[in-house]
Amino acid sequence: MAHPSQLGFQDAASPVMEELLHFHDHALMIVFLISTLVLYIIVAMVSTKLTNKYILDSQEIEVIWTILPAFILILIALPSLRILYLMDEINDPHLTIKAMGHQWYWSYEYTDYEDLGFDSYMLPTQDLAPGQFRLLEADHRMVIPVESPIRVLVSAEDVLHSWAVPSLGVKMDAVPGRLNQTAFIASRPGVFYGQCSEICGANHSFMPIVVEAVPLQYFEKWSSLMLED
Amino acid sequence: MAGEEEESNKGFRLLGILDVQNTPCARDAILHGAGGSLTAGLLHFLATSRVKRSFDVGFAGFMLTTLGSWFYCRITNAKLRVQQRVIQDGIKNKVTYEGTVLDPTNKPGAETSSRPS
Repeated sequence: MAHPSQLGFQDAASPVMEELLHFHDHALMIVFLISTLVLYIIVAMVSTKLTNKYILDSQEIEVIWTILPAFILILIALPSLRILYLMDEINDPHLTIKAMGHQWYWSYEYTDYEDLGFDSYMLPTQDLAPGQFRLLEADHRMVIPVESPIRVLVSAEDVLHSWAVPSLGVKMDAVPGRLNQTAFIASRPGVFYGQCSEICGANHSFMPIVVEAVPLQYFEKWSSLMLED
Repeated sequence: MAGEEEESNKGFRLLGILDVQNTPCARDAILHGAGGSLTAGLLHFLATSRVKRSFDVGFAGFMLTTLGSWFYCRITNAKLRVQQRVIQDGIKNKVTYEGTVLDPTNKPGAETSSRPS
């Protein structure tokens, strides 16, 4: 989850998010160098005593400040396109989960083998145990096996919602009457938090998403327990 | 303890943009850039005694050295990550398929020699 006054991304929990972090570092370094260059030029312009009132044109500098930005844009675009297509790859998911947005909770359906479905409401602040996170905890978590490709089909029952988990690098709009698909792999066990990312009414900020990645044997035990309930 | 976590998470941000402590390769790139800038600027000044132009040369040296060091480090890291993933997948496949036909370490010669005559 995010920590107080955090500016950057959360730690990656999926290979796609790791790639996104690396691309972000790459783009940020380019932005930093351009900013430094602009700052230096501003200081040089402000502090110079030279003036030339008769400049009409200069082919050399025009060529430089056309070619250089084009080159920089290519340097950013190539890894960007690579990761864009990487994010769209869906490699034989082991499990399909339907995430349905409601006002104001999420419901999850695991219908691959048996009919397992449950609602996930935010835990109210007064019901939190010590150590739990305010506005982020839910009564039922979406449990998934670790290191397995998971397909999530996202939709909504009433208004627009959006299913987002930043540390997994996933965000998908939940549109009523439409089924949107996304996929991810949780590379490590853990609990990953997200929040509804499309304005959906009074309690839009109070319908969090909690994904718990566990080893396969624990996932099997959990799903058997949930089915018994 | 919460204070320690906050200190380790709050990296120093150059120009308020670049988190030098927590971004891989950033610290090395900036330090190499600073060294390159100092060297280039100083050498130019020693050769020409022109202060302003030496600053410009030093700055150009900073940009080129930082970029060069950054890309070299990132490419090396990317290759290492690919190798890591291949090794991880290999170990996982070995653990999953050991003793079966799909065992990745099965050699065809060993199979034939183990058959009873």
